[in-house]
Amino acid sequence: MTNLSVRETNLPRRRVLRAAVAAAAAICTVAACSPVSNNGGGDQPGDNQSAGQDSFGTPADPAAVKQGGELVIALSAEPDALDPTLSRSLYSRYVFQAMCEKLYDVNEQAQVVPQLATALPTTSDDGRTVTIPLRSGVRFADGTAFDSAAVKATLQRHLSNARSARKSELGPIDGVDTPDAQTVVLRLKQPFAPLLGALADRAGMIMSAQALRTLGDDFASAPVCVGPFKFAKRVPQNSIEVVRDPNYYDASKVHLDAISWRILTDASIRAANLRSGDAQVADSVSTQDVASLRQDAAVSVLQSQSLGYQGLTINVGNVDGVGTAPKPINRPLAQNAKVRQAFEHAIDRKALVDAVFNGLHAAACSPISPASTFSSPEAQNCPTHDPAKAKQLLAEAGVQTPYTVTMLASNTPDTLRLAQALQSMVKDGGFDLKINPVEYSSLLDEQDRGNFELLQLGWSGRIDPDANITNFVGTGGSQNVSGYSNPQLDTLLTQARQAGDVEERRKLYGQAVTLLQQDDALIYLYRQRNLTAVSKQIQGLQVFPDGVIRAAFAGFGK
Amino acid sequence: MARYLLTRAWQSALTLLLSTIVVFVGVRALPGDPALALAGEDRSPEALEAIRHHYGLDQPLLVQFAQYVERMAQGDFGVSIRTGTPVSSMLTTALPVTVELSILAILIAAALGVGAGVLAAVRRGRPAEWLANGLALIGLSVPHFWLGLLAILYLSVATGLFPASGFVPILEDPVDNLYHLVLPAVILGTGLAAIIMRQTRSAMLDSLSSDYVRTAKAKGLRPRAVITRHALRNSLIVVVTVVGLQLGGLISGAVVTEQIFGLPGFGKMTIDAVFQRDYPVIQAVVLLTATAYIVINFFVDLLYSVIDPRIRVTGDPA
Repeated sequence: MTNLSVRETNLPRRRVLRAAVAAAAAICTVAACSPVSNNGGGDQPGDNQSAGQDSFGTPADPAAVKQGGELVIALSAEPDALDPTLSRSLYSRYVFQAMCEKLYDVNEQAQVVPQLATALPTTSDDGRTVTIPLRSGVRFADGTAFDSAAVKATLQRHLSNARSARKSELGPIDGVDTPDAQTVVLRLKQPFAPLLGALADRAGMIMSAQALRTLGDDFASAPVCVGPFKFAKRVPQNSIEVVRDPNYYDASKVHLDAISWRILTDASIRAANLRSGDAQVADSVSTQDVASLRQDAAVSVLQSQSLGYQGLTINVGNVDGVGTAPKPINRPLAQNAKVRQAFEHAIDRKALVDAVFNGLHAAACSPISPASTFSSPEAQNCPTHDPAKAKQLLAEAGVQTPYTVTMLASNTPDTLRLAQALQSMVKDGGFDLKINPVEYSSLLDEQDRGNFELLQLGWSGRIDPDANITNFVGTGGSQNVSGYSNPQLDTLLTQARQAGDVEERRKLYGQAVTLLQQDDALIYLYRQRNLTAVSKQIQGLQVFPDGVIRAAFAGFGK
Repeated sequence: MARYLLTRAWQSALTLLLSTIVVFVGVRALPGDPALALAGEDRSPEALEAIRHHYGLDQPLLVQFAQYVERMAQGDFGVSIRTGTPVSSMLTTALPVTVELSILAILIAAALGVGAGVLAAVRRGRPAEWLANGLALIGLSVPHFWLGLLAILYLSVATGLFPASGFVPILEDPVDNLYHLVLPAVILGTGLAAIIMRQTRSAMLDSLSSDYVRTAKAKGLRPRAVITRHALRNSLIVVVTVVGLQLGGLISGAVVTEQIFGLPGFGKMTIDAVFQRDYPVIQAVVLLTATAYIVINFFVDLLYSVIDPRIRVTGDPA
């Protein structure tokens, strides 16, 4: 179980088959030989599915699942540090899902549900005291007890570590109290509604206090949490392996012996590994590959609409770099909202996602996903595609057409196809779009410096809407690369942050979206679907709207 | 000989120092901030500052360079900005994979290339030569990544003869290790095999028409002995030079091959590090590659004298 490859589950069978297959290959033409399906039954949803419909996968039926085996997941990018305090990538969340449980989790309906907590938190009337009841009889992978002291140690580390990526997510926490072993009380300086969403992500992952003491900043080298699996081995830039944890409180639900994530950055290589049986799951399947994977009888494709978005950011005031005070930019696109509205009206989002992504992604006009609890008709309102109106708005703004705009975009094939489609689309609206493709790291650099007119980027999304909006469009927000500032919007966002009531927050976010669409500093384009290909050998693998692959309770079909 | 070695050692040290400076400055001249690449989506000004401070990226360039050289002198390559793993331990896991892959690729390429080259020279103007030339042309012109994809498609996906990805350390299971490496090694070796074939062929043609071969034939030696003991031995000098010069190309080919087959080697490490702006890893990798080049060139020079005693290693320039 310590090697880098998947031998237990695949190779023995393949060795037996090898001779036979080699002989067969010599007889039939290569193209005619399709991979043998080992599926014993138990279809997953995802078969014969029409494009654009969500399918999250279903929990495994214990009677139809074999015990044991190693699941191999082909991952599109390498997770960063396996330390809940420091981690900053989506991909580490995939690994954490199997080995680091959180106080709260997200379910299929994108609702927050208890995981290591036993119930949703109770908040005092002034919104400043949050009480969380904890599970009892739970042990960490190192055998130590999970209790309020461990929660306190973890949260304090999140708040005090110099490199912590969790500090801002936890907001105005003033202190953590532990009245007894099964209760944690958080004291806040002011009410902070996004806290629950944060505790359903990495901020809510509790680490073993003993491991934190012995490993300190090196926690990522041998992370210890509560989870169905425990950390076994990591080969940097290649693979991560976890093995079944006998200490886990719900160990009877775990079927697999081990899970390993193998990093294969090329989408077609991931698909090939899935087809050859070297991997059973592939994440971030390209929309180009979905049709052919669907035809493969041995593979199903899970798709879940993400909570994030892809959009176009217009530089309206980022002159000295992100985080500095906005300064006027002498360009009609930056100065005049009508020009930006004209650009939005020139875009046909539906045609765009149909042409570029085979309709697998969903058109989007706001930062709030329809899957979110906080969605409303206002939040889903969408400016129409109307090239005539675009031209009229440009005329009103006194701009000569064709009006040339240069767009900075990532140089990946998918983004370039999107950019070209946009280019031909906005032409009818009176725009001449120039594309300036750069490599991803450079793109981030340029965007933060404000060296762009228009740029295409996205956000993977968080469960709480605040984490998808405030940083990006709030005045001085850490990711407000457009240099946009609207005091009215800031007030709405602050109110929404501090409102305890879901209904009230929903209303406020609806109003925020209306404002955003008037100013159009950020034009939302589409919402990615997380496309995950799964071998039909595997049952019980799920992907929810938070985009995280849930493999911990999956198993090989009998 | 001693003077020659000393001169070469001095030259090598200078080359290394220059490469260190070029790499250090070059990596930092790349657009893209490692702190940004690391922070990814969750980036706040405080987080970026903390990352820069932790890795000393907020220090002046000269201070960074001084610290880097000081650490290097102590054999410390630093810590990966991306994963926090010591670079030295990353190198010790990655290097054996690439070395093994390269050796295997060279062996395969040499066997195929020399064999086909000799055949093409001896059977000049016959179908065997056309076939060898044709294959060499394909081997030279088809890119590694495309051949690799085809190999995975037909030999892994369709027939299941070879694994599509993965790696098993040789100490753990030598047979499985070989099983995982054969396909990537063949793909990696194709270009080199083609070059070796062409060089062997032309060198063999030269040798076969030379006086000493005519003498050997006149002495009544059997054709096989003439070809292997006389003509081939003299032709190999060219081949060794070519293989030596191509080793660098092999490493760049390994970048692509390792990426396609998901091998945890040096090449994959390099490409990932560049995309992540993982300075310590890029620096270590490039420096190690430079060292490898220098050492390989040195040994190629030495090998000349072993194969052809007429070439004497001396300290004299000419």
